[in-house]
Amino acid sequence: MLTIQTPEAVMFWFLAPLAVISAIGMLLVKKAVHSALLLAWVMITLAIFYIAQDALFLGIVQIVVYTGAVMMLFLFILMLVGVDASDSLTETIRGLRPIAITAALGFGGLLVSLIGRATLGREAAGLVDANSEGNVQALAKLLFSTYVWPFEVVSALLITAALGAMVLAHHQRSVPRATQREQAIARFRGASLGSAAGLPNPGVFARHNAVDVPALLPDGSAAPNSISATLKARGDMLESTQFELSEVDNTVTEEK
Amino acid sequence: MSANPYIPILVIFAIGFGFAAFSVGIAAVTGPARYNRAKLEAYECGIEPSPQALQGGRFPVKYFLTAMLFIVFDIEIVFLYPWAVTFDKLGLFGLVEMAIFIGTVFVAYAYVWRRGGLEWD
Amino acid sequence: MTFTAPVLNYAQLAPMLIVLGGALIGVLIEAFGPRASRHASQLFITVASLVAAFAALVRVRNQSSVDAAMGSVGFDGAGVLLQGTILIIALLSVFLIADQENFTALAAAVPGSSEERESLQLDLRVTEVYPLTLFAVAGMLLFPVSTDLITLFVALEMLSLPLYLMAGLSRRRRLMSQESALKYFLLGAFSSAFLLFGVAYLYGYSNSVTFAGIQASITGGSGNDVFLLLGIAFISVGLLFKVGAVPFHAWSPDVYQGAPTAITGFMAAATKVAAFGAILRIFYVAFANAEWQWKPALVLIAIVTMVFGSVVAITQRDVKRMLAYSSIAHAGFLLAGVIALSKSGLDASIFYLFAYGIATVGAFGVVTLVRDSAGEVTDLNRWSGLGKRSPLVASVFAFFLLAFAGIPLTSGFIGKFSIFSAAYETGSTAILIAGVLSSAIAAFFYIRVIVLMFFKDPVEDGTSVVIPSALTTTTIAVTSLITLILGIFPAPLINFIESSAFFIR
Repeated sequence: MLTIQTPEAVMFWFLAPLAVISAIGMLLVKKAVHSALLLAWVMITLAIFYIAQDALFLGIVQIVVYTGAVMMLFLFILMLVGVDASDSLTETIRGLRPIAITAALGFGGLLVSLIGRATLGREAAGLVDANSEGNVQALAKLLFSTYVWPFEVVSALLITAALGAMVLAHHQRSVPRATQREQAIARFRGASLGSAAGLPNPGVFARHNAVDVPALLPDGSAAPNSISATLKARGDMLESTQFELSEVDNTVTEEK
Repeated sequence: MSANPYIPILVIFAIGFGFAAFSVGIAAVTGPARYNRAKLEAYECGIEPSPQALQGGRFPVKYFLTAMLFIVFDIEIVFLYPWAVTFDKLGLFGLVEMAIFIGTVFVAYAYVWRRGGLEWD
Repeated sequence: MTFTAPVLNYAQLAPMLIVLGGALIGVLIEAFGPRASRHASQLFITVASLVAAFAALVRVRNQSSVDAAMGSVGFDGAGVLLQGTILIIALLSVFLIADQENFTALAAAVPGSSEERESLQLDLRVTEVYPLTLFAVAGMLLFPVSTDLITLFVALEMLSLPLYLMAGLSRRRRLMSQESALKYFLLGAFSSAFLLFGVAYLYGYSNSVTFAGIQASITGGSGNDVFLLLGIAFISVGLLFKVGAVPFHAWSPDVYQGAPTAITGFMAAATKVAAFGAILRIFYVAFANAEWQWKPALVLIAIVTMVFGSVVAITQRDVKRMLAYSSIAHAGFLLAGVIALSKSGLDASIFYLFAYGIATVGAFGVVTLVRDSAGEVTDLNRWSGLGKRSPLVASVFAFFLLAFAGIPLTSGFIGKFSIFSAAYETGSTAILIAGVLSSAIAAFFYIRVIVLMFFKDPVEDGTSVVIPSALTTTTIAVTSLITLILGIFPAPLINFIESSAFFIR
């Protein structure tokens, strides 16, 4: 028989309400990122529960795969969609929401009552036997004997996943990227030799050498092409005249 | 020892929290606090942070590909874990099975690598 | 801990190993092969591994054992027949898939973007469909021979994942195709979750995940019946989703319509064989003695599926959607074989699966041929008068429709007749009545399409039948020939199935 130790009970009654509240909050909060963070918390709590209930492997996997990788994937997807994007809450099919809520509550209630009837007042059985050699060790034994065939087949599943990710998201280059040699030749054969030495670096000869400040050319004029195109597109280019040498305040004052 | 096995964990938690609280507190109390505008300026490298990210903060789909590939190999690692704790008992058979498993998933790696899935351009 | 290395029967696993090996070689070709020769070498590898797998299967056809792979794979007559059916259907579908006109040039390109146009001009090809098809076939081969729930789940994922992907690779109407892939994936993930839930309950019930263990627990009768009920219910949801039985059918019209037609044909035929194979095995082997728990619900689902599929198909204006609803109706007919729970039910189901699968591949093969300048024409109105312009193609399609309707002299008639008589023998009169009625309704819309093709005037809107490639011709010819032969001389196959189909326990 499995005896529940008091600290485990304390931990359960401390974490379980938090997990349930976060799970409900995940559904109710407006911002997708908040929802994702709440989900991460639910996952971590579940991992703690698993480990506390002697399912060490499951707990570790929960952390490594779900909290680590799947959660990261969720966040990336949010970023792909845009953090500020919010779903339209209008119903496409009229009256679907009340039907869905009723069905979900009915189904959930049915499930809870059935499982309650089946489990309440009964003891868990078999855990001590299953874990007698250590949780992970026993799992390894099963994985490499009884389930060795499905285990090997899973590798094919992983290949399919990688293949699918590549097919759907990888933009195959139709033209190979220009090598440095080709780029150099193109620069010298270009219209003007002015760019042959490459573009000036941002901030050079200016007081400020952050990347958002255009370089000053020897004649004192600013060189906007020294700024990365991304920064230009973002509108993050500062006016470089304010950093010209003549503008610099040369007086030295003692720091207060 | 018959004491509760959770007590050492609690002690570790207490020490951890205590150290963090102490470090933050002592830095605030003893450190000099002189304001200088240049301290907050982007210096030598970096840019002034902009309030609004490009394209409304949307990431390119390339990140998704990377994350997907990470998950694939992450799950491969999950299968390594039970083998790693018992490889001495599983013996040669376990080694061969694991080699086949890793070799098979490596085919996916070869595909991703050759097709430029790991390049960032 | 003592560990004894497991013993695998490689001869019996050979068909799956060969297909998986072929898929791996395919991925390596994708990695290292030059782009120009990729398509040809992929096609060769795919066909070769399917043929080799079939040969390997023929070699071990008379063997049977419960521990081909440590109790997770059961090798028996029914398994061999189902695997053989899947391999034949896969081979015929690959010939359709080889016509790359159906597939997008670059799946990652945004529809309508300049990148898409460029990829079309460069004639890029998503040759990954070949290894993906082989992975799906390997999963399908494993699905009906799994004898424990864990292997069943792995096989389910393995056959589904490539199909989710390939559904999104259509060359034209790409947004619809991608939407269908997403729908299929999301609903499929839900159904997998249901299946896993069911697995957990059955483990709780019987302390075992093998079919034999569950059966022993049911016969022993000491388990917790609520767990058994929940387990059967959830596992059934997962499996019935795959065959598109009402009310788990919502994905199928959209996916059938959105997916590239060659993939639709493959998916419609081969998935149905694999999933019904698994359903037959799990209900005949594991749940047989708990009949009272699942039979009433399954009878209801079967009747609703038949009637719904047949009635809704009448209103469809798109060939692929119509075939989707017809496949829903056929799922209902096939469930009659599951409910029969007898040797004749098993024989009839396997025959029906073979006949239906072959005819489906052929029918979708014909659909790929009717095109205009923008691609395939699936609007039924534009098919009117097709029989006057291309009598041969229209006749072949009409023949497949008659086979679906179950008109005598086609394989469909023999299939329907044997499956309904099996249901009648075991006293399922309600099924029989519903089946005959919905067959009559179904016959109406099949014949309406035939009337449309042959007795209406053609519309002049550029719709025409393209000259099929040699491979597509092969598929259509072979499938129509098999459908005809099975309609006239079904006895050899029926006898063969009767003598060899059984489930090992």
